[in-house]
Amino acid sequence: MRSVYDKELYIYFSSPIFYVIAGIFLCITGIFFYNNMVYVSLLASQIAQYQISTGISLNDILLRPLFADMSLLFLFLIPIVSMRLYAEERAQGTIELLFTYPLSDLQILAAKYLAGLTVLAAIGACTLVLMVLISLITSADWGLVISSYIGLFLMGSAFLALGVFASSLTRNQIISASISLGLILGFWAIGWFANTMNSGTIATFLKEISVVGHLSSFLKGMVTLKDVAFYFCFTLFFLFLTLRILESRTWRG
Amino acid sequence: MITIDSLTKAYGRTIAVQDISFEVKRGEVLGFLGPNGAGKTTTMKIITSFMPPTSGVVTVMGYDTVKESIKARKCIGYLPENNPLYHDMRTTSFLRFVAKAKGIKRSKVTSCMERVIFECGLEEVRSDVIRTLSKGYKQRLGLAQALISDPPVLVLDEPTMGLDPKQIYEIRQLIKDLASSRTIILSSHILPEVSQVCDKVAIINKGRIVAIDSTSSLQRGLQDNARIVLKVKEKLDETMQIINSIEGVLSVSSSNSCVLNVETTKDIDLRPELARRVVEAGIDLYELSRKDMSLEEVFMELVTEEITPDA
Repeated sequence: MRSVYDKELYIYFSSPIFYVIAGIFLCITGIFFYNNMVYVSLLASQIAQYQISTGISLNDILLRPLFADMSLLFLFLIPIVSMRLYAEERAQGTIELLFTYPLSDLQILAAKYLAGLTVLAAIGACTLVLMVLISLITSADWGLVISSYIGLFLMGSAFLALGVFASSLTRNQIISASISLGLILGFWAIGWFANTMNSGTIATFLKEISVVGHLSSFLKGMVTLKDVAFYFCFTLFFLFLTLRILESRTWRG
Repeated sequence: MITIDSLTKAYGRTIAVQDISFEVKRGEVLGFLGPNGAGKTTTMKIITSFMPPTSGVVTVMGYDTVKESIKARKCIGYLPENNPLYHDMRTTSFLRFVAKAKGIKRSKVTSCMERVIFECGLEEVRSDVIRTLSKGYKQRLGLAQALISDPPVLVLDEPTMGLDPKQIYEIRQLIKDLASSRTIILSSHILPEVSQVCDKVAIINKGRIVAIDSTSSLQRGLQDNARIVLKVKEKLDETMQIINSIEGVLSVSSSNSCVLNVETTKDIDLRPELARRVVEAGIDLYELSRKDMSLEEVFMELVTEEITPDA
């Protein structure tokens, strides 16, 4: 399993794709960060000028919007990280090597998934620089920062599982990315539907399966068992589906 | 080492391989021949556990390729058709990955890698990116990944496809060197290659095995008559008359001015008799040899025979 994990990371870091998406993600996050900081300083100067006391905290105007923006960028980032995991092997024919080496499907899946997760975590970890910057100017609510990172990580791992599933369906990386982006946006949009419906079982149900909805409590600084369990089950469900898809080669003609 | 028992594989309604059975023993090299789409690659994919059979049982070193797939896979080195490789990796990093994936102990990974780099002649390209390698080197690397765990069974799907004559020669030599201690199945389109490298040949057509035997007995077995070729200096007509008068000769024909093809009955060898009579008549004899069917002819005959009743 370690061997496949190492191989996946090797390919991620030796191909330009990682650097391109990491670069774009970090640039846009940086722009958001700059924008929020300008807003913060504007507010701060006004507060200083007019000597008003407000209930506005740094959490509301800087951290929460920043993490919300990052979660949005993650939605687009994940399909590109996950698209190659199986589709590329199928397209290049190397799946024939991988599936004839003495490795079980589960070992291969776990290795590939963890490699993808490592890449996401590495990109996410780059944004810690921004937290360092914040800590230099002011003292932030570190509890909120930690819970937001946990939330982002869990949401990322759930969507990555979905992306791996999409990748196992096809030999074409573009189709793989399109399917996972479509599904991810679908799970995102479900949340809006739930909000427009005022009540009822369906509204509650939609609200509960909205993947982004479960992120909101993390962005408020809460790590609740319900949300952690949701992301965990979502991840396992799609990994399980992927395993079934891979196994289907043993009975499909 | 490899036993295939009434193996059938269907893709939906199309039947790729139908009820084939054969066995390859330790130390044997089996050549797998057949026209495109005959089922060679399908059979190889089933032997290597890439796909399960629709029905039938395949065992490798006694392990069922479906039920004990991981154990069976450990015994096999497989070079798939078209030689897929991870083009973004470098030669050594790829081989290191393969060694670990095949479960070679951490302490032995480097020595195994160095062994195949030496065996397959990859020293010059050991730190190159695979994408940039020439086709010959890629093919050797494909062979190297199959050999790295020193498996007792090798399955090679068209190992010399797309190589130039010199590279074909080198790969063929390599396979010959490997043959002594291993069981090898290889498929090929190039018939002289098969007759040079393999002890045994299986000819497959439309998903069925039409012949399986040693190369030489296949070549002899299909002939109805024995054939002898003579080359003389001159007096062609006179020689033909002399030969015709020998008992056992069925027909004589000349393909060009000084070569005669003689067909005789299968059970007797008329070569000494022919030589004596021709020389006694004062004709200069340059050459006299017995001619077996070439593997090409055997192949065409078997494959065509099979097609005719269907059409």
